[in-house]
Formats: sequence, C-alpha cells, structure tokens
Amino acid sequence: MKVNPKIDELLNSFIDGELPPRQQTEVQRLVAHDPAIAGRLRQLKKCRLLLTSLPSAHAPAVLSRNIIAALERKTLLGEPPSSIEQLAGERQLFVRKLLAAAAIIALVAVLSVVIYNIVAPPTTPAPPAIATRHLPPLPEPAIALPTTRPAQFAGRLELGTDSFIQVDASVSKAIAENDSVDCTSLTRQPDRAEYILACSRKGLASLLADLETVWDKLDSATLLVYTDTFGRQIAVNAVTADQILQIAGQDSLERSIRVAKDFAALNNIVELLPGKDILTAIDAAAPDLITTTKIPKPTLTGWSKTIKKPTSQLKTDAKVSLAITVVADK
Amino acid sequence: MAETNNANIDDAVLVDQCRLGYPAAMERLVLKYQDRLYNVIRKICTNPDDAAELTQETFVKVLENIDKFQARSSFYTWLFRIAVNLTISYCQRRAKFSTSSLSADDDEHDHHAKQQLQQFLNDDSSPDPAAIAQNRELCRLALDALMGLDDAHRTIIVLRDIEGMTYAQIARVLNIELGTVRSRLSRARSSLRQVMETMCNEGQSKNR
Repeated sequence: MKVNPKIDELLNSFIDGELPPRQQTEVQRLVAHDPAIAGRLRQLKKCRLLLTSLPSAHAPAVLSRNIIAALERKTLLGEPPSSIEQLAGERQLFVRKLLAAAAIIALVAVLSVVIYNIVAPPTTPAPPAIATRHLPPLPEPAIALPTTRPAQFAGRLELGTDSFIQVDASVSKAIAENDSVDCTSLTRQPDRAEYILACSRKGLASLLADLETVWDKLDSATLLVYTDTFGRQIAVNAVTADQILQIAGQDSLERSIRVAKDFAALNNIVELLPGKDILTAIDAAAPDLITTTKIPKPTLTGWSKTIKKPTSQLKTDAKVSLAITVVADK
Repeated sequence: MAETNNANIDDAVLVDQCRLGYPAAMERLVLKYQDRLYNVIRKICTNPDDAAELTQETFVKVLENIDKFQARSSFYTWLFRIAVNLTISYCQRRAKFSTSSLSADDDEHDHHAKQQLQQFLNDDSSPDPAAIAQNRELCRLALDALMGLDDAHRTIIVLRDIEGMTYAQIARVLNIELGTVRSRLSRARSSLRQVMETMCNEGQSKNR
C-alpha cells in the first residue's frame, strides 16, 4: 500500500487523540468508507500497541540514595557539577592557561636574549677608560706591524732617556749578545734608534736581564701592547721589566691584554697620586711614619733584580714580537 | 500552556521546598519521577548502567539548578527536557565510537520470535497488552526495532508511546513546534513499521 504522509499524520493524531472533535469525526468517516485507510490505521494501532505494551524498566533501588549522597557530597565539598558542558569549559580553560604559559615563556626568552645582548661584554675588549684617560695622545706607530702576527704577543717598548748614546749602546749590545733574539730591522737616527725584534719568551727574558743597567738611565718607559683591533693599543706607562715579562708571558693574547690594562691602571694611579711630593716631605721629616704605608712606586725604580735568566718555566715555543725604540729626551 | 493537574500542583510545592533546602522534598521528587525517567532513558539508550547514571546526573543537575526553574513550564517537562538532552548527547558521543546492530543472534530462537512479530503485525485481531508484555521475545524485537531508528525518531516515539506525553508536552520537552511533533512522530512510526517488516523479511529469507 502506498503511504500518504498527510494521511499518516492524520491517522497518527487520530489514534493519539490529538485531533479536534470535528477532524476526529472526519477521520472516522474516512476510515469507514476507505478499506485501505482502515488497514493503515490498523497497522499503526498494532505498532503503537506493541510499544505501549512493553514492560517498564524500574530504576535501581539505590538510585535515590545515590542522588542524595551525590548532592550532599557536592554541597559539602563544594565540587562543581561535572556536567558535559562544564567539562568542556574546563578543557577550554586548561587550553587557555597552557597558551598563556607558553606565551609568557616565549616572552621571557625573547627578553632574556635582548638583556643578554645588552649586558654581555663584547667579543672585542675595548680599552678601559682608566688606562687611556690620563695618557697623552699616542704617537703614530713608527713601525708597521708585522704582516704575520706573532703567536701571542706583539708590542713596542719606548724608552726615553737623556743618555741616548749610552742607552742605545747598551740595548744594541744586549741584542747582539743574545743569540735567541733576532733583530729583523734596525733604524738609527741621531736622536732615535729603533730595533724590531723577534724572539721567544725565553729570549725576551734573557734580553731584559741583560738590560739591567739601562733602566737606571731612563726617564720614561712605555710598553704598547697591540690588540686584535687594528690601531688599538694598550699603553703601559712607567713599565718595569718585570711587568713586561709578566705581560708577554701570558698564555693568550687576551690574557696579555688584560694584564697590560691592569698594570696601566696601576701605574697611572701611582703616577697621579697627589701625595707623591707630600710623601717625600713626610719621609724627610719622619722617616718611620710612612715606612709601612708608603706605596712603592713601580716606575723607574731601577733594576730590581727580579728578572732572572730564563728558566724552564717559560714557554719557549711562544713567539714574541717586540719593537724597542730608544728616544733622546729634548 | 501550563498544566494545572494535581500532580503539578504537588510538584510546585515540592519545588518550593527544595528551593528552601528541604532534603525530604528532594527525595520525594526523586522517588516520584525516578522510575518514569529511568524507563524513558533506558528505552532511548538501552544500556541499564548508562541509564542509571544518566538518571542520577539528571536529578543532580535539576536539584542543583532548582533555583533557576522559573515555572514557565511544568517541572515535569523541565525535568524530562534536561534528561532527554543529556541522553541524546550521550547517544551521539557513543555513536562515534561504536556501531549497533539490530540483532546479534540469528539462531532458531530468534527466527521463532520474528515469526511471532510478523504474525502480530499481520493479524487483524487486537491482542491483550498484558499478553504482549509477557512475550519477552516479541518485546526484545520491538526494542531492537526501536534501536534501529535514529535518535530523533526513537526519542519522540519513546516520549509518546512509552512515557505517554501529549503532543504539547513533547513540543516543550524537545523545544519544537506542535506541527513538527505531528510530522516527526508520523515519520518515526512509519520508519519503525518498516524496520520491523525488514526484520521479519530477513527471518523469512534465512529460513528458506
């Protein structure tokens, strides 16, 4: 039988008693005159009868007690209801918290990089202000740097003296007597002599030991330590032979530069001490008073015999490139 | 349209007492509706354990939110609306992870039941409902056929033919128009009849 949806709707409403009285009468008349519709009505009624006759399922006996217990538990513990919507909300909240935490971590990472770039020392050390602030303008290097940089130390020692001839002779003699020191270049003028030397640290120590008598005749001694940056030097005024050896004897150029800066700062501070003359006066008036507090002046105090001939402690394989300039004071 | 029968008057009193926090009123509401609610949920989702859990969740949700009930509809339709929503959500979630079959057993016993169903559908007599209820095989096949429907059709048949709601109550529970109730119920019964006939035809073809 072909099912008409409109007729079906009408018949279903009829058997459910959901039709107004007038439509109910019309359906009764329709069923009485049309056997097909009457048959369809019987089918629908049987189907409905089957469902309405199904036995009812009864709730478990403990259901009411479980409900009351669940309510009491939630009331006492303040538990939020665990409905599907709330679980979804909690999940969404968790995701939001996770995203916020990730964003904070990323922000902190970026800020850390920025702060590190600001605070971290540059790879090329700049000369400290204290080492250069009180120094006179550096003269242009009289000699060119060697085309191949020595392994760990390169510098120039400028010696100023009134006894130019004697000092120059002593330097020349010391270089000549040290076989381990190679003089690659010699320039001599009436008031200036320049020796460019290549040697090991051992040879440098030997040379400085032979220059024992020279330091007493010097008016100034300045060591210029070359850095990695072209044209940038560390100037150590009033340098002593011991300081030269300490600077040149470091394991790396960075350490030599750092030691040179320290000596430059120390020597400048001592030079600029206002009490230098006062200390002399006090020393004359009361020698015992300043015996214990007097700061030893590191500059031009004469050969202190601290330099010894090279020992096995020095690394003989480390190369030193040193230019010694002897200048006559005007 | 507000129902004004005695049961709803009692419901209004119980709801007021629940709002004041009387445990006895809550328990009385639960006892009053638990069997009917459980029966409806059980017929929609079939699993007894899930039905019990959904019934409990419905009551807990209703009693927790009893202050939000504004009496624009009856407590009865409000209660069943929440129950049906929870149950359909559950069915939709379950449908994603499982597949259901109309009948698992196709043995001789099952064949006999299908013969009984065919005889029932074709017979013009009006059998006694009590006799139908005692025929377990027939009831099982009817429930199987019910499970062969989609959620919307199964729900509207359960609300009408098993719970016995009026069309107006169904419209409020499902939040649909009255005309939609008529058309959907008609289609659902037609589909149910087809499912039953298909089950009977399968039994016949296997018998041959």
